[in-house]
Amino acid sequence: MIRVHLAALVAACCALAFPAHAQDRIDVVTTTTDLRSLTEAVGGERVAVVSIVPAGMDAEEYQAKPQDVSRLRNARMIVRVGLDYDLWAERLLLQAGNSAIRRGGPGYVDASYGIATLEVRGMSVGPGDGHAHGNGNPHYWLDPKNAEIVTGTILEALTRLDPANARSYQANRSAFLARLQLKLAEWEAKLTSLRGMPLVAYHNSWPYFARRFRLDFVAFIEMKPGVPPSPAHLAEIIRSMRARNVKIVVREPHEPKRDVDFVAGKAGAAVVTLAASVGALPQAGDYIALFDANVAALTATAP
Amino acid sequence: MSDALALLFPPFLVAVCLVGIHAYFGIQVLARKVIFVDLALAQVAALGASVAFMLGHPAQNFTTYGYSLAFALLAAVLLAFTRTWGTRVPQEALIGVIYVVAAAAAILLIDRAPQGAEHLKQILTGNILTSGLGDVALIVPLYAAIGLLHWLLHRQMTGAGPLAWEFVFYATFGAVVTSSVAIAGVLLVFSFLIIPAAIGVMFASSLARQLAIGWIAGVITSAAGLAASFALDLPTGATMVCAFGGVLAVAGMFYPFWRGEPRAALRVAGAAARWGVAAVLAASALQLAAAPRADQPLIDLAEYLIPPLRSLYLSPAEQAAFADAGVHAERYRAEAEQLNDRERRTRTEGEALDEFSVARISSFLKSYGEMRKGEQFVMHEVRARARERIRWSAALGLLAFALLLAPVPWRQVWARLR
Repeated sequence: MIRVHLAALVAACCALAFPAHAQDRIDVVTTTTDLRSLTEAVGGERVAVVSIVPAGMDAEEYQAKPQDVSRLRNARMIVRVGLDYDLWAERLLLQAGNSAIRRGGPGYVDASYGIATLEVRGMSVGPGDGHAHGNGNPHYWLDPKNAEIVTGTILEALTRLDPANARSYQANRSAFLARLQLKLAEWEAKLTSLRGMPLVAYHNSWPYFARRFRLDFVAFIEMKPGVPPSPAHLAEIIRSMRARNVKIVVREPHEPKRDVDFVAGKAGAAVVTLAASVGALPQAGDYIALFDANVAALTATAP
Repeated sequence: MSDALALLFPPFLVAVCLVGIHAYFGIQVLARKVIFVDLALAQVAALGASVAFMLGHPAQNFTTYGYSLAFALLAAVLLAFTRTWGTRVPQEALIGVIYVVAAAAAILLIDRAPQGAEHLKQILTGNILTSGLGDVALIVPLYAAIGLLHWLLHRQMTGAGPLAWEFVFYATFGAVVTSSVAIAGVLLVFSFLIIPAAIGVMFASSLARQLAIGWIAGVITSAAGLAASFALDLPTGATMVCAFGGVLAVAGMFYPFWRGEPRAALRVAGAAARWGVAAVLAASALQLAAAPRADQPLIDLAEYLIPPLRSLYLSPAEQAAFADAGVHAERYRAEAEQLNDRERRTRTEGEALDEFSVARISSFLKSYGEMRKGEQFVMHEVRARARERIRWSAALGLLAFALLLAPVPWRQVWARLR
């Protein structure tokens, strides 16, 4: 009797862990957690999505592991950020040798397709300003409106790979976008108090976020990724923060706390830790929670 | 200017404290021939901090510091013993092994904790620019106590005594490095340790004089490095390290003159300079003849410094094409910048742009980028073709110039040939 119960329990657990058609699920690999969340929103139960970069790690400095190659070898679809943000994926794809997900293959998705990129500069242009990316600033997922375009690209690829379930993918995406639309209105309403308020960030991850919510990032502590700021630059930031009465310095969890605290302390500003990708903060568990967390953090600190 | 002083004075005080203790340890380290011991100790201390982090202790916490120190002390025991190994395998090899294993172990540990990587980076790449008077208040008592201890034990600190004294040496050194690397970073601490000590050892033989010279050189160089990093708008730590390197080079060049044979030293220096210039010229000549389309570092540099040099080998038409492409490239850059600027301003000012206008700006920006690349390609191509045309004559000219400059005793060569 007990044995029968046990068997039933095990079966139930299995059913919970592997929902219907476990063997039919499409294996998708994404480079970042944000794209994982968006792919899950479209694919729903029919996809098994893994992100190569773990939550909270700086995706631009990721170092590949052997597991990543075997994951890509077995994957039917790859979704990447593009715009030179995840350049390391290029070599991983070569090593995996999986022709289905190679550039041009049916399972290759560059999520930046169709995105209106901001701050496009040639390689050597504007040495004093912002990002080293010649293809424009790559943090486009931080505008919730861009999720429409990205999920559209993902929908197209999933439909190509699994035409039988196209309707279900479409329905998933519509439901997600409807939810996002409601949320966006809520976020915009909450952030109206910060409109035009000058902010300083450590790294220039925020142009898309700023454009959508009409925030004013006036300066960045780190001018080029990985190069510590010069004293003249710090002095200038602190001076302009005092002059423009900047009260908030934005930092991502993986950025050096010491330098940010130093600048904020000198200028009498508060430090707000925001997540630039899903999972960077524990409360930013998925794409919508990411914005919930950031909006909550910003409004809590706004004077 | 007062801004600059307010920003640079705390780091300068920190640098003075660090030079104070590290110059002394540097002299000891040079005498023991264990140059990279500070890297090994810092890395082991970072491993300790990583263990504390994995156990859930926050960074810059007393317990975390305790873990770092405990690990550094363990490493001190190991290091004290490496001296007895040194007969067949050099001690420095074992120090290197301690360093790489500690570094790798920390990476393995931290791999499971996402924010761990940043934590580890913070321990090893402090930024002296953002250090403050709080750091000074912490390190001054510690360094004073350690300095006093070493002064009392100066008879035992020869490096030849019983292993227990070696352990005391490495343990105190570990305590110093654990704190200093978190403040100033591995590169700068290594410079503080080795370069003032090396200059002191070069110009004096008693410990007191070596220390005095090292301190003076270290403090002046730190001040110069800090000032240069402000004036030239460069990252502070890296600028200071380069300043220290430069001072050591100058001291090295000055050394032969100080040793008492200025004339001979001058002759050697002159010959070395002429050989160096001749070698660079000859290499450039070969590069031009072999691959005229490739980068020509010497010619590129000369043209960058004196643009009219181009008229020596570009025809008037080529010069016009080159200048025209340059003007256009600059215009596209400026227009793209203007567009970027406008987009940035509309984020907060006036009506928000609709999606279509943003997409249009984005595609304009991309076009400007492509057009600029095209103009740069034209400039490169014009120059490359002209260089291909003159490769043989220019290479021969450069080579002849190199031979003229090289201090070859032509008369003797001629005589021997006859």
